[in-house]
Amino acid sequence: MSLSTIVIIFIIISVLISFAIGSNDETMATIYGSKTLKMKEILILAVIFAILGTFLLGRNVSETVGKDLLSFTVDNPVVLTILISTSIWLIISSIFGLPISTTHATIGSIIGVGLLIGGGGGVNWLTILEMALWWILSPLIGYIVTYLAYKLIHKSIINKLSGFRNYERAERYFSYILLIVICWTAFSRAGNDCSNAVGIVSGLQVDLNFILLIAGLSIASGIVVIGRGVIKNVGTITELHPSTAFASEIPTSIILFFGTLLGIPLSGSHMLVASLVGLSKARRAPMSKGLWKIVLIWLLTFPAAGIISVILYFPINAFV
Amino acid sequence: MKLLREKRNELQEINEEYLAQTLKGAKILHDLIRKFIENKLNKADLEQVIQSEHTCDLLKEKYTEVLFREKRALPFLVEDRYKILMNVDQVNDKTEFIARFMQVYPFELYSDIIDEFKTLCESCMQTVELLINCATLIETDFESAYAKTFEVEEIRRKARKARFHLLEVIYKKSEEPTRVYLTSKLVTIIYEVANWAEEVSDFLRGLIIKYPSR
Repeated sequence: MSLSTIVIIFIIISVLISFAIGSNDETMATIYGSKTLKMKEILILAVIFAILGTFLLGRNVSETVGKDLLSFTVDNPVVLTILISTSIWLIISSIFGLPISTTHATIGSIIGVGLLIGGGGGVNWLTILEMALWWILSPLIGYIVTYLAYKLIHKSIINKLSGFRNYERAERYFSYILLIVICWTAFSRAGNDCSNAVGIVSGLQVDLNFILLIAGLSIASGIVVIGRGVIKNVGTITELHPSTAFASEIPTSIILFFGTLLGIPLSGSHMLVASLVGLSKARRAPMSKGLWKIVLIWLLTFPAAGIISVILYFPINAFV
Repeated sequence: MKLLREKRNELQEINEEYLAQTLKGAKILHDLIRKFIENKLNKADLEQVIQSEHTCDLLKEKYTEVLFREKRALPFLVEDRYKILMNVDQVNDKTEFIARFMQVYPFELYSDIIDEFKTLCESCMQTVELLINCATLIETDFESAYAKTFEVEEIRRKARKARFHLLEVIYKKSEEPTRVYLTSKLVTIIYEVANWAEEVSDFLRGLIIKYPSR
């Protein structure tokens, strides 16, 4: 097989991964739910920040998928299997408009490949167990933090407002802050998430700027083509206004940021969904009836991603 | 940002104009009813009330257009403002109906119900005034608007009492059934304005309670 054919195949795989990441990006959900912007405007912003984030922040491609979780040497077929199966599961859940944790899907794929190649000893279960603690804690933290943040904002600001005009003014300020923070989150998230997609082609002597551009466009396409369903679904878990969207989004974003700095594997998707549930409880507002589907897909993520990786490993190994 | 601010100011201006016009229409009708009581009513003057309602309709259309032009601005407020507008518009429709009814009402008022009739009309005018005050205050001051809603309720009770006193007297009259029927109808449609004002004030009170607990 010629080098150019290999390059094209790896670029296609990179596009698939980026597209999958974009399709399950729920960053803009609260903007949609609070009706701060219309879907068309949200998609335009998402596309801009996905491309900018990938292009400007996506140059750090040193991440190695699965190296701490597998007890054997991670080679190219293993990495590709993990990434492709994760992408497939991301796309499947996105088609149903359901947000899942990319980390969980990746770990599910790693476990699948690990069990296939190394049996029970192929997976570093102790590390998985340590991470599992955070899978339970992520939604719990999101729920509690948003519950408290809403109560605080409500008591200190909303309760003191009088008259429609004051409400309008306050909600407008909340929407501006929300918009700025979410744009920043979309920007940095695109930069972080593209590393896996860019990483697999970075050693193939292809211009990095070209790869980054392709990855950025693919993430943007994922958001536009499939991702809008996820944005809609998450944004309508409970009734949102700019102030309540602020209460659910900002504290969880801050915790997620510090969690990432400290190396804690918190799931942004799980935290956001749980924080919206916390918000609806704090406000005693009704919740979307489709919440059970999200919980179900979370539970299915590990086995499904694992099974897909087991199915894909042999053809990929034979090919690579 | 600039666009939103312009829109809000435009909304405020039209809203204030609309509420002022509603009050103006009610005041014109009130003055004409006083003349009617004194048997000095020129029925052609009732056209002013009908014209006022038409002006309100135009303002309502303009307000609705601006309100829904940019849907992005706080939809829950857009919806609630629209409901307030439509509810206040019913006051205009009811005053117009009274004016049209008076145009075709062929009798003089019974002399023994004049005082109570005046009380009814005064109460109705007061409820409309208080309602307009309340609808204006809800934009800036929930507490004062909330207090006004109870005042509307109080005055409406007074109007209801006057209405039934009037009906009691009218229904006992044995002469001219048409006059009895039409006079009782006149009393009822005038009272309907106070009754509706109270319903709208109840709605406004609900909004005032809803907003801080959102």
